[in-house]
Amino acid sequence: MGSFEVSGLSKSFRTGPQILTDLTFRYEGAGAVGYLGPNGAGKTTTLKLLVGLLHPSAGHAYLNGIDPMEDRKGALWDVGALIETPEPYPTLNVHEALDAVGRARGLSRDSIDSEIDRCNTLLDLPALGQRVGWLSKGQRQRVSLAAALMGDPSVLLLDEPTSGLDPAERVLVRRLLNQLKRDHLVFMSSHQMFEVTEVCDEVVFLHHGRILLKDRVDRVAGRIRSRQVDVEFERPVSSQMLAPLEPFSSERVPVSDTRWRVTFDGSDETRVKLLGLCQGIAPVVQFANTSLVLEEAYLELIPQSEDAS
Amino acid sequence: MEVQAAAASPGGVGTVARREISDFEQWQIATRHQLENYFRTNRFYGLLAFVVLIAGLTLAFEVAAGVAAVQVEQLYRSSEYLSNYLVNTGLFVVLAAAFFGGDALSVDFSTGAGYYMLVLPVRRPVLLAGRYTAATLVTLVVVGVYYVFGAVGAVYFFGAPNVPWLVLVESFGVAAVFTLAALSVAFCVSAFVRTPAAGVLITVLALYVGFTTLQATIELAGYEPWFSLSYAGGAMAAILDTDFVHLQTVPLGEDQYYTIWSATVLEGLEIMAGYIAVFLPLSAYLYQRKESTG
Repeated sequence: MGSFEVSGLSKSFRTGPQILTDLTFRYEGAGAVGYLGPNGAGKTTTLKLLVGLLHPSAGHAYLNGIDPMEDRKGALWDVGALIETPEPYPTLNVHEALDAVGRARGLSRDSIDSEIDRCNTLLDLPALGQRVGWLSKGQRQRVSLAAALMGDPSVLLLDEPTSGLDPAERVLVRRLLNQLKRDHLVFMSSHQMFEVTEVCDEVVFLHHGRILLKDRVDRVAGRIRSRQVDVEFERPVSSQMLAPLEPFSSERVPVSDTRWRVTFDGSDETRVKLLGLCQGIAPVVQFANTSLVLEEAYLELIPQSEDAS
Repeated sequence: MEVQAAAASPGGVGTVARREISDFEQWQIATRHQLENYFRTNRFYGLLAFVVLIAGLTLAFEVAAGVAAVQVEQLYRSSEYLSNYLVNTGLFVVLAAAFFGGDALSVDFSTGAGYYMLVLPVRRPVLLAGRYTAATLVTLVVVGVYYVFGAVGAVYFFGAPNVPWLVLVESFGVAAVFTLAALSVAFCVSAFVRTPAAGVLITVLALYVGFTTLQATIELAGYEPWFSLSYAGGAMAAILDTDFVHLQTVPLGEDQYYTIWSATVLEGLEIMAGYIAVFLPLSAYLYQRKESTG
């Protein structure tokens, strides 16, 4: 099983502020780790340091126990990486772009073809004979993701993997990541809280180059009391009918005729009262936290004035 | 972190057969990858068309003018004809080196190409070696076409038996070493600058304009421009010149002389080797150290 680790990792450039300060974490085995933080927090910098695209100012990064600064080939041998916006040579076609990756990773001719077929099935790649230069942003992103998967490496480092994809493609990639994390180690940065909630088992919050929080997603969810519940009634409910909730909720937003998003102070007492009141209005089919727990954690951890993304 | 697998993922870790791959094999892969790219670029076909146009027009004018016109230029022997023709080879080598080497490394840091290639398990010097080899081969194709036109002209005017084929091949060998030297400089520039256009421009300016101007100035001062790559490039033509003179003194006026130096073949090769020995390792060092900050 794969692993990745950063130990006392710091990065600064000759001109400019300190990007990362004394980062330390290690993950091993299978699963998915989400890497969250506002723009400029240092997420992409961390990923670049892990694959040796940047040199640490202090500390070390290790992939499967190997420092890419000392042995790039060994460190990256069992790692697939999608960082920033990769661009294969635009003159090559999709098959040739993936073929070069397969050969560099030591795949045989037959294995390369079967791997390209596998990636094609998983990611619905554009026509293999099409030139990369003619692809749309989303198509190119899927080709780059396929390149990261070629040879089935045990560690996947993904920098905003669904960036540039349309909603259908995002669903496709999320499903794929959920499958891959069963026996791969996935480290993904993202601004999509829903995506991280859906895919990741663990989460690391980064801010100004320092780790703010590092824990399991379910523990973070437990720690951050959700201030929103989605209430689904058996039949359509109007805003007038929800008037009894007003003393206990600050906002009630309709999601559909039968579904409302109710904002409150997050306490268990109020939650119990709201449930009772809702049941008095109409039969309740579902009463659950919204899937935005990580977003709430993000907003609680990171001052909103500094970043709205 | 350890999450137990509920079911195997598509493919599953370890289900794809991979073998250890040597740096030598990866060098071959990188060379082929780069060649595939070069042979589909407009710059390759543009440069080839330029060479064909210049060499073709030169030959066409000579053929139209006839043998007498060639002899007016005092090119009585095929070796003299070829030597005169190959004087311009350096220009095409420099142009090709700039076009194919000037952005060979900077492309990784100015576009997303680096995020595709540099995350692969390949050592950077191996990638550099592959690109260097590909750039050399593609430059030699361009230069080879120029040589072919020269050979056709020599055969037309002097007959195939009178053409010094072996020396012509040796001259092409010197051109190959000159190509390696020019590409070493181009790769070094490419590893240093950030944008591909700057790499191409600086390489052309340095190798063609810069060295030529400096060479003339140094010669005016009465010194041998032994440090100049363009001076060394003269060896490509000098090898065919049966009346080769290393040092010529041209009177400019009363008690004033202008000395013209021409590199001998050995001297030219030594200078070229010096450039390769200095600039190629420097390129590798800079490329290895360069960070993807964009």
